[in-house]
Amino acid sequence: MSAPSPILLDCGTGYAKIFNLEDSTRAIVPARRFIKTLSEYDIKASTGHNLSSGAGARVNELVALAEGALSMVDEPDFTVLDFGARDVKYVQIRSRRVAGMDWNTECGAFAGQVVELLTRYFDVEPENLPADAPRIPVVCGVLGMTSMFDMISNGKSHEEALAGFLRGVAFNCETLVGRPDRLYLSGGLCDNKAFVSAFTRETIPLGRFVLIEGLRKIYSENNI
Amino acid sequence: MMQERVENGALIFDLDEPLADRPVKDIYLPNAYCSILKRVVSNIFSLREDGGLDLVLATVGKCKCDGMRNIASWLERTTDIPILKVENDNMNGVGFPISRSGLPLLKKMELIVNSVFAPLPEGLTLEECAPKCGFWGVPPYDFAILELFPDETHIFGWTRCMENKTPADIEMECDVDTGVPTVFFTQSFCQKSAFAYNLAREHGGLYVEVDKMMSHSTRAKIEAFLEFNLGWRGKR
Repeated sequence: MSAPSPILLDCGTGYAKIFNLEDSTRAIVPARRFIKTLSEYDIKASTGHNLSSGAGARVNELVALAEGALSMVDEPDFTVLDFGARDVKYVQIRSRRVAGMDWNTECGAFAGQVVELLTRYFDVEPENLPADAPRIPVVCGVLGMTSMFDMISNGKSHEEALAGFLRGVAFNCETLVGRPDRLYLSGGLCDNKAFVSAFTRETIPLGRFVLIEGLRKIYSENNI
Repeated sequence: MMQERVENGALIFDLDEPLADRPVKDIYLPNAYCSILKRVVSNIFSLREDGGLDLVLATVGKCKCDGMRNIASWLERTTDIPILKVENDNMNGVGFPISRSGLPLLKKMELIVNSVFAPLPEGLTLEECAPKCGFWGVPPYDFAILELFPDETHIFGWTRCMENKTPADIEMECDVDTGVPTVFFTQSFCQKSAFAYNLAREHGGLYVEVDKMMSHSTRAKIEAFLEFNLGWRGKR
């Protein structure tokens, strides 16, 4: 039996993002599957909702997000939003230091897993969604979905209704982060073109490994 | 009046607080409603079912949120539960040494809440400390949130007013120490969330709302705020 692989881990609600310290490879696997294979890994440091115990040194998600974004973005002032499966969080950087942060902690119904579920449920390709759909007010995810299904029952297409829902979610995110001119995006929905284009400001996807990059920086500096 | 009833053998319950063996029945109010007032109403009905309820003293003035005023009117109109509406507009403060002491935040909160009915424990010494951070708000439904903070956390907001015996003092409720990183806490669905939300923006603090028990996300958000502002990583 081979020795467990030393890794850094961002184990979110939906997916585990893994950085292998031996060969510097990265992987993304569903969290539910990863948890069943824990014995194969030697977790040196971790962040994320799952695996809150027995998983090496723990790093707060917002700290990992800030450090990761700082290692990936050269600008002195910027804002990065992490759109996770169950919640949304951001840090605001001023002069390369954290100047603000927040985290929507209560309503997971307008977060990534719902967007993913709806996309599958409607069996639509995100790139095929209309770009000019009117925004649905998403007071909370559940009420937003109610409005979305009302649109469909009133004759709108599923694609238009879903696109309107995404624009409502993006609007909420912009409100959360204070509407900067430019927004960096982290998380699984960086790959969802419809979601990225639902924002009304310049939105730059950084991908799914921002928190892992933060862990790498913190781990390499022995700061945990 | 309360003193007279106590001398005649009556027991006084703080309906805001959990009562032993009386779990909250979430059936009397809308789902999206303050969890503390849900507990109050559940406790009222639970005590009445056992025949142990003589009178509800319902605080309905500016000294509380608006919720109990509406609930008291509903109970008066539709039940035979005896309700006495009271208001506390006292503006003569007695001070707030607990709020500014260096005791653990959880202990501070317990002392303030218990001071409604009981005097402070004999021999208790309260030494004022300089604040590292602040906790603004009402006593939370879930006191576990208070364990996240360092001992040098000052209490602000309605809880400080409560200790000062001036619960209707809005000026004091809105007063915080500028420059002290402060968490502005509110129960979800509470009218005071408007205060908390905008005071947090005004002072660069952290707005936190919780319905019943604190979630992992809320815990992590507060921990991050304390780590970013104080380098504080909890009582480990």
